[in-house]
Amino acid sequence: MKRLEILNFKSPNRAPLKVEGFLFGEESKGPSIAIVGAMSGDHINQLYVASRLVDYLRQKEEEGKIIGKILVIPAVNTYALNMGETFWPLDKTDINMMFPGYAQGETTQRIAAKLFQSLQGFDYGIILEGRRDQGMCLPYVKIIKSGYEDIESARDLGMRFIHYRPYSPIETVMLQYNWQLWETKALSIVFGKNGAINNTTSSEVHEALVRLMTKRGMLDLPMFEGYSSNIIQPEYITVLKASRAGIFDSVVSCGATVEKGDILGRITDALSGEKLEKIVAPIGGVLTCQYASPLIFQNSIAFRIASVEK
Amino acid sequence: MGVIEEVFSIDLPVGEQFRIQRCRYTPKEGETSKRISIVSGIHGDELEGQYVCFLLGEWLRANPDKIKATIDIYPAINSLGLDSITRSVPFYDVDLNRIFPGSKNDFLPAQIADGVISAMSGSEIAIDIHSSNVFLREIPQVRIAKSQEKTLVPLANKLNIDFVWVHDAVTVLESTFAHAMNTLGTKTLVVEMGVGMRLGKAYGHQLLDGILNLMAEEGFLAIEPLNVRFPIQSHVGEVAYLNASQPGLFVPSIEHCQMIEKGSVVGTIVDPLSGATLDEVIAPIGGILFTLRAYPIVYEGSLVGRIFGENG
Ligand SMILES: [Zn+2]
Repeated sequence: MKRLEILNFKSPNRAPLKVEGFLFGEESKGPSIAIVGAMSGDHINQLYVASRLVDYLRQKEEEGKIIGKILVIPAVNTYALNMGETFWPLDKTDINMMFPGYAQGETTQRIAAKLFQSLQGFDYGIILEGRRDQGMCLPYVKIIKSGYEDIESARDLGMRFIHYRPYSPIETVMLQYNWQLWETKALSIVFGKNGAINNTTSSEVHEALVRLMTKRGMLDLPMFEGYSSNIIQPEYITVLKASRAGIFDSVVSCGATVEKGDILGRITDALSGEKLEKIVAPIGGVLTCQYASPLIFQNSIAFRIASVEK
Repeated sequence: MGVIEEVFSIDLPVGEQFRIQRCRYTPKEGETSKRISIVSGIHGDELEGQYVCFLLGEWLRANPDKIKATIDIYPAINSLGLDSITRSVPFYDVDLNRIFPGSKNDFLPAQIADGVISAMSGSEIAIDIHSSNVFLREIPQVRIAKSQEKTLVPLANKLNIDFVWVHDAVTVLESTFAHAMNTLGTKTLVVEMGVGMRLGKAYGHQLLDGILNLMAEEGFLAIEPLNVRFPIQSHVGEVAYLNASQPGLFVPSIEHCQMIEKGSVVGTIVDPLSGATLDEVIAPIGGILFTLRAYPIVYEGSLVGRIFGENG
């Protein structure tokens, strides 16, 4: 294992920002992969999965099981992680909105540029992502249609769902899109609840990463098969909104199979305690996502259900 | 007097609503579908536009007989942010101006964006007033994406601003309010002036004159057009960006944005711990310094100024 300094950035008053990468194996022996962990300060589960993977790969390297080249960068925005911020603490910009970066630009553009430079030339690229809202979801693969996406490597993760959809304009400044453009088979795994660690979810993502690396010839290990992934296009997802605001409690968990008519959650008035709403499944399917805060806004998305039929 | 209307409302969890309000002024006589929207507070830490909204409202209250069409004033789009000094939408940390056109089927910020669009679409013109953020001070300027240059520059020239900046559009700007509105056929101008969390009275009055002039020329007000300044046009030169080369404390050498000569010192970056001067920020071209850093802490890369040089 080599511990690399991806970047070292001086601060006016605090200790320098150091972004570190952990490198395993050699490129000459097999394919290569880079895995990027927490780009935001609230992506704790992503940090946890990445650092656990570093420890795992260190052992596998000692056992001689690594064939290709593997780079893991567990955390990019350590400044934010260290102070409970989400974005870059000074100007609140999101590093994952600065790609491909600009070496002569603003601070987070420079950070993105250095990081992106270190991610060049890899065959596969994985971004461990948190959600951008208050939700909590089943771990899923997010792959956007840039024209350079590779569904086959996404399938080798063996995760239950692959969300495959057109990109939105803001995604053109994100890592996945740019990494694909620079010819790395890049995808994101979205999981967890921001600011928290979930062990079951973490294991599932860890296993998926190891499975992909095994199937694509970077690790020499016996491995369980995963799911035969369902590719979900946006039209197969039913969005259930809370028509009222208040205290929200869910009676089901992500991953549950639900039938049409099942009660999924309840909303009560935060002051009077009056029961305001029951959220009922309008369709059968798998509950992929739920609102993860106890206070819910009117019209917030309470649940998402993935179905086979529309 | 204008009529205050609520155009969007969402219940918040504990006994309150998030709402967007407008003050609508209509002609005393006769219906008109001709409409203009004056918008501010998409970013919760930008307050210069609120003052312009006040000044305009004050003028319209005093001159009701001059109103020829519908004039809508929306001073506070991100109302939660404005009352909590938060640039983004609180709770979600999402920049509202990166989520347009929004959607009814997405989280709160996207629903707000969707609500804003449905309230304002159908307007002939919209003027979206921003300050800079807390980091930078800007002279009054209008920023226009190159693709909209033809329709928008003639309008911007009526606004009594100092500078029209036609920029190459970046994909990410497709998620702004202005882009969404322009796409829907409302000629939308984005004004940037002043600095975040502060209020510059002079700039407010300057833009008020511009808005009155534009409304006179475009048939919203029955008044004579005002004698306004003609802005510098960005296509006749180039914009130079000044980024800090060192982390430290930026101490400007000039008070405000102004004309500057090539080679002169814009400011110094100093180290409060050692007492050393780390770097001098030198103007690489002469011209108008239309952006100047207002917040002193800088990292490597922090923007400290922008100069527009007429000669290139
Ligand atoms: Zn703004």
